[in-house]
Amino acid sequence: MDFAYSAEQEALRREVRQFIKENVTPELADEANPESDVERPRGQGPMAAALYKKIYDRGWLGITYPKEYGGQGGDRLTQYIVEEEFTRAGINITLGGSGAPAIMAAGTEEQKQYYIPRLIKREVSFCLGFTEPHAGADLANLRCSAVRDGDDYVINGQKMYTSAAHMSTHIYLMARTDRNAPKHEGISIFLFPMDTPGITVRPLWTIQNNPTAPVGTTYGNSRTNETFFDDVRIHKSCLLGEENKGWRVGSMGLNLDRVGASRYLISVRRDEDIVNWVKNNRFDGYSPAENPAIRDKIAEMWIEAQVCRLMTMRSMSIVERGGKFTYEGSAEKVWAPEHGVRVTEAITQMLGPYTTLLRTSAHAIEDGVFAHNVMGSFQSGINHGSVQVMRDQVARRGLELPSSRRPKKVEAK
Amino acid sequence: MANCPVCKQPVDEAAAKAQTGMTPGGAKEVDPKMGTRQFHDGTWYYFDSLECRNKFTRNPDGYLSGAA
Repeated sequence: MDFAYSAEQEALRREVRQFIKENVTPELADEANPESDVERPRGQGPMAAALYKKIYDRGWLGITYPKEYGGQGGDRLTQYIVEEEFTRAGINITLGGSGAPAIMAAGTEEQKQYYIPRLIKREVSFCLGFTEPHAGADLANLRCSAVRDGDDYVINGQKMYTSAAHMSTHIYLMARTDRNAPKHEGISIFLFPMDTPGITVRPLWTIQNNPTAPVGTTYGNSRTNETFFDDVRIHKSCLLGEENKGWRVGSMGLNLDRVGASRYLISVRRDEDIVNWVKNNRFDGYSPAENPAIRDKIAEMWIEAQVCRLMTMRSMSIVERGGKFTYEGSAEKVWAPEHGVRVTEAITQMLGPYTTLLRTSAHAIEDGVFAHNVMGSFQSGINHGSVQVMRDQVARRGLELPSSRRPKKVEAK
Repeated sequence: MANCPVCKQPVDEAAAKAQTGMTPGGAKEVDPKMGTRQFHDGTWYYFDSLECRNKFTRNPDGYLSGAA
């Protein structure tokens, strides 16, 4: 068992760092950061677009995807190394969401040929249309309907928390195609463009709005959306996988999306920022790094971060070896966000009231990133499957417990 | 003009659906101040606020029957 990186992997890391040093300025990171300006699409400012072109030309986007679909046919650890370095620089190079892994697993050859190269080149981006006002943790309760009409489906209904709907070119939608089937059956997945007539996007502002979060904030989304579908007509070729089998496709996509670096990466910059701040600041000749209480907290935080990293490595290893990936991603999705809550609380205790000042305050520390991270850490426990749902999945898939149900009420005598 | 099923305030359905902009992906954007809506049992219901809609989501039958 060797946990060290190979010489080639270390060389790749140095190459990526050098590239970042030569190409990524704070202004560019700000432009590429989707939260720095709520009106600007992700990575579509002129500087950011040029940067992504350069990253693509280096072969650093879509590393794990097959070459015939525009990827590199590489391994997950290579992708992890590249993503980790770009995350430190505030640049997101992931393909974003479960669309791509779901298409690879369940898509037709035509869908793979169309979507995967465009996702890698960032010409296509998906927002996730799963949650509804009455179907969040209990997603199978969804009611948005897709009714077959000749060669088309007609969609009516709504989705909540479609976070990137205002920036995406396409939607990855889960809808009910059989109202009479049991609730986990009769569900299908569809992929279609956001400019299809009948789609309406309504903004919902989060706690990260006004001021928007600075670059480097963990879950700094200032805006999410609700999205409405009024008689949206799409061709049957938009169906992903089999009709009425969408629950399995959607679950598989979410699970596969949780493989890889993303759960650890949401911690990297935040955890390193506080370590560097403690090391690099002195007050009246005294360094916080010399304070026993702060050292204790920092060490504890680092240990937790390593658990997070090792869980990520284990998930990648399972998938690389072709093993069965069942509950591991859910376990990561519990540990990483809750680690974030503990870390941001610890940082607030260590640095005091100034850490609660947002970036608009002249007295904010590091452009308010620590304050925005406090809010982001709580968001991360809800986004993309709440930690409660994830624990339930660990219980069912990992520990093989039966599905949960409430005990019967016992009438008092 | 519809009435919010929760607080009974009038909601202009046309204004709630009126296009005020377009996303870069080509979807219609609306003014969130003009209310929101919910698709329930095949019918759209209009609300003056998210707060009202959240109440409705928890007890739609109660609000539609007037019992809530």
